[in-house]
Amino acid sequence: MAEMSIVFNDINKSQGVFTRRAFLMGGLVAFGLFALGGRLAQLQILQGGKYTKMSAGNQFNFRVIPPPRGDILDRNGKMIAGNRPSFRVMIETNEVKDINSTLDQVSYILPQTVAMRRRILRDINQNKRSVPTLIAGDLSWEDFSKVSLYAADIPGVVADMDQLRAYYHGGAFSHVVGYVSKINATDMKIEEIKPDADINLLHHPSFRMGKQGIEKSYDNILRGTAGGSKMEVDAGGKVVGEDGDGSIPPKPGTDVTLTLDLDIQNRAMEAFGTDSGSAVMMNIHTGEVICMVSAPSFDPNLFVSGIPTKAYRLLADYERKPLLDKSVGSTFAPGSTFKMATALAILDAGIDPEEQVFCRGGYQSGNRFFRCHGVHGSVNMRNAHKFSCDTYFYAMCNRAGVDRIAKFSRKLGLGQAFEGFEIAGQKKGLIPDEQWKREWFNGSSRARHLDPKWHPGETLSVAIGQGYVNVSPLQLAVYAARIANGMKAVEPHLVRKVGDKVIDHTREYADLGIPKAHLDIVRGGMWAVSNEPGGTGRTNSQLDLGPNIQISGKTGTAQVRGYDKAGTRKAAEWKNKDHGLFVCFGPSDAPKYACAVVVEHGVAGGRFAAPKAREIMRLAMIKDPEIQKRIVGPVSTALDKAALERGEAAGASDMPNEGLPAETPPGD
Amino acid sequence: MVQSALSRPGQRERYDSKIGQIDWVFVALLIMLAGIGALIQYSVGGMSWEPWAYTQLRNFALFLAMALILAVVDLRFWLWMAYPAYAVSLILLVLVELIGDTRMGAQRWLEFGPVSFQPSEFMKLAIVLALARFYHERRPEDANWSWWLLVPALMIAVPSGLVMHQPDLGTAMLILLTGGGVMILAGLNWKAIAAAAAGAVASIPLAFFFVLHEYQRNRILTFLNPEGDPSGDGYHILQSKIAMGSGGLLGKGLGLGSQSQLNFLPEKHTDFIMAAVCEELGLVGGAMVLLLSGLIIIMALRMAALSHSHFGRLAASGAIATYACYVLINGAMVMGLFPVVGIPMPLVSYGGSVMLTVMAGFGLILGVKVHRYQELPKQSSMLANLME
Repeated sequence: MAEMSIVFNDINKSQGVFTRRAFLMGGLVAFGLFALGGRLAQLQILQGGKYTKMSAGNQFNFRVIPPPRGDILDRNGKMIAGNRPSFRVMIETNEVKDINSTLDQVSYILPQTVAMRRRILRDINQNKRSVPTLIAGDLSWEDFSKVSLYAADIPGVVADMDQLRAYYHGGAFSHVVGYVSKINATDMKIEEIKPDADINLLHHPSFRMGKQGIEKSYDNILRGTAGGSKMEVDAGGKVVGEDGDGSIPPKPGTDVTLTLDLDIQNRAMEAFGTDSGSAVMMNIHTGEVICMVSAPSFDPNLFVSGIPTKAYRLLADYERKPLLDKSVGSTFAPGSTFKMATALAILDAGIDPEEQVFCRGGYQSGNRFFRCHGVHGSVNMRNAHKFSCDTYFYAMCNRAGVDRIAKFSRKLGLGQAFEGFEIAGQKKGLIPDEQWKREWFNGSSRARHLDPKWHPGETLSVAIGQGYVNVSPLQLAVYAARIANGMKAVEPHLVRKVGDKVIDHTREYADLGIPKAHLDIVRGGMWAVSNEPGGTGRTNSQLDLGPNIQISGKTGTAQVRGYDKAGTRKAAEWKNKDHGLFVCFGPSDAPKYACAVVVEHGVAGGRFAAPKAREIMRLAMIKDPEIQKRIVGPVSTALDKAALERGEAAGASDMPNEGLPAETPPGD
Repeated sequence: MVQSALSRPGQRERYDSKIGQIDWVFVALLIMLAGIGALIQYSVGGMSWEPWAYTQLRNFALFLAMALILAVVDLRFWLWMAYPAYAVSLILLVLVELIGDTRMGAQRWLEFGPVSFQPSEFMKLAIVLALARFYHERRPEDANWSWWLLVPALMIAVPSGLVMHQPDLGTAMLILLTGGGVMILAGLNWKAIAAAAAGAVASIPLAFFFVLHEYQRNRILTFLNPEGDPSGDGYHILQSKIAMGSGGLLGKGLGLGSQSQLNFLPEKHTDFIMAAVCEELGLVGGAMVLLLSGLIIIMALRMAALSHSHFGRLAASGAIATYACYVLINGAMVMGLFPVVGIPMPLVSYGGSVMLTVMAGFGLILGVKVHRYQELPKQSSMLANLME
């Protein structure tokens, strides 16, 4: 059995090897399984909390409920900007198999252009699959009912109601209130990194962001806080259930009440008609801005659901610049409206206001003859205002010096941005002085050819609000207000209430330290402009509210280019015509309101700017119950009659045509 | 030759006594594992027998019956069919290469009329049988270190190369690992093992850049940095980990796993079923599956070691090596310890092909135990005779 032994040997040998190795393999497998068990314990026990959270994050989705945006109200609580229901139809991308055929089906009900289809497909690609994409918004009731009827048969198409921002007064508030629009990529990047940013709200298709004016500067207050309904979703983002207890209602945005008066604002817009420019009217004691318009304007509602590029370009490229807020964002040479600042500087230099200057149509300074717009004979300071005689100021200004003029104009609010003013975009303009010219010369290569030294001839231009002088309509209104209120450093404001919190603007403003005697001379000159025969603003300054209610003003006509040799002021092209300006305050005996109007390329201040200021001031006077009492004449009778009819003793009443007396008098 | 004192001649050949020799504890473990599987199939199917649980249980019953029949098949039959089975499987693999049906981007399926199947599945068992027979007929020294080793090396390399080309990385890896496992169990020299391991490690970069497909490369990159792409390839791993981690010690309860019920968990009823088990039944459920698998493997190895024939030992241990590879790779993959390769958890995951393969393997293992005293002749091949 030798063979047997070999076999046995064989068997034993290979069996031995096998048994050892099988043990080894068993050990390895056991080790592997043990390791897996350890890993399980690590995942399920040690890291269990972390994964439980992630699992809940998967399972539940907060479907964002955007908050209703706060309303923007006028000073009497009338709605300027609110929210209106908007009917829309959307496509839920993850419910749809074939997007194109679904859109085709919808197009039988709501026809789509190629551009619309492109827009929809682009939006579908950009949105998350779980976010529905808008097919069409702001549908008419007819379209909406049609879509609602058929949408049930087209899977993935839903028709529902959304809230859309609405501006109820066309272009009257477009610049002050601004508008909202869809958030763009640049803003998204800025908003997303804010510490309190709500990413889900930012990406919500209904979310709108304030882009200008109050809508922009009060965006966070108006926006509110998004709510959410807690939805159980599957991996595809499809909602499988709702957890009512986990839902949070949205917190509506806070209402913002402005100091503007709706009626006066609308009247100002009407008064501008086809003209271009800006009007700002304010309470001289509190600084509350009651009217602030910029013309021409635009319909802010266009921007809410996205303005087509073509329409936008038509607005943006128009030479009269409807998109620009000219009240704060444009600066103009103030022309003769600047003369009060010059006059106060002259008085400050110790010059007798009765000292006469003979106007023979201009003034010779060195080798240059500075023209006046007329021949006024002998004029004192009061008459220099009344006739707006340039020669007087040419003759006197260098006795005051440019630095003194600059000092006074700055005191009065010109050439500066007002820090507490609630909307952005203020341009500072420029009030030149000697130091400025030196710096300008050193800092700019453009000014190299000029002399860094200030020349007396340049003071002559500044004295009549020309040359380097540039101010905004808001600054001019503050300027008029500070002259009217007895030289208090009043600052303009636009917001009266945030939510229920009243913002107090009645604080005591700092005294500018200008003697009352000087002030009376200048105010007297302004009264003469508007009320004495021969005054440049007289024709268009009459409020027709009886002898008690008068305004004091100052006209201005600002040159926009050097006149040609013939000296003609006439220009064929609009953009070469002179600016017309008017600043005023009233009532003259106890001032309460001040107004500045700039008619861009409006030819002449007295003829074209003053009428607008008159209409604005007149309505403000009629709406103010205290001033109202002093009105005599036909308007007064009408007001009394209206009050009697309503069984009221006095005060508040209603004038059908003027849209009158309101709950809150302007400026209190 | 060596007969047990308890048995009379011929008694072992009787089927009733063979059935008595079947390891019923082992069978019970299989039933328990498949039971857990069916329970989870029922749960992830939305607490319903349809579409998975019923089919799974029916298949299991069918294949268990098949395994029990295979358990009483004479070992000589297995030995006889080892090479032909290997040859047929190889031919089918070549056919797949030539006329195979492409499904989901991979050419794995062969269709004969109404029947479609993956020949790579057969190869998993055939390679074990063929290698077992090869070593059965060689001297122990040949298994250690000789030119003969080229034969098993080729026997493994050719089918795994073909499967890799389909491409089916998971199955190719299984064939490679099982084959390698049999070679090691047969007594391969440790130096050779070390050299092969070193070679494998060295070839990883080469394979990564030249052999693997784009999607396979991505899976590996994703495995190395799962947070890099949480919505794409990393999604599977991350969601699987979330499912398991959120299960905790006792689980969320049957039918209450949000990850698996709401479809966050991909392939929840097949490759990633372990994540569903761990989510709904917790650490207890997951550990139960691992424990059952471990017991099955240890018992199978013991049964293999009891065999008096080298073929029996190697065939049974090879079959269990296949199963062990499935369990370890699937477990590691689901737990984020291994790249995502399409390897299911046998008996627990839904799917007929894999269940058929492993149940046939279990039938073989049971058979090896039933026939543990059976001596098998060494039928030297003509080639072997020539060489000796």
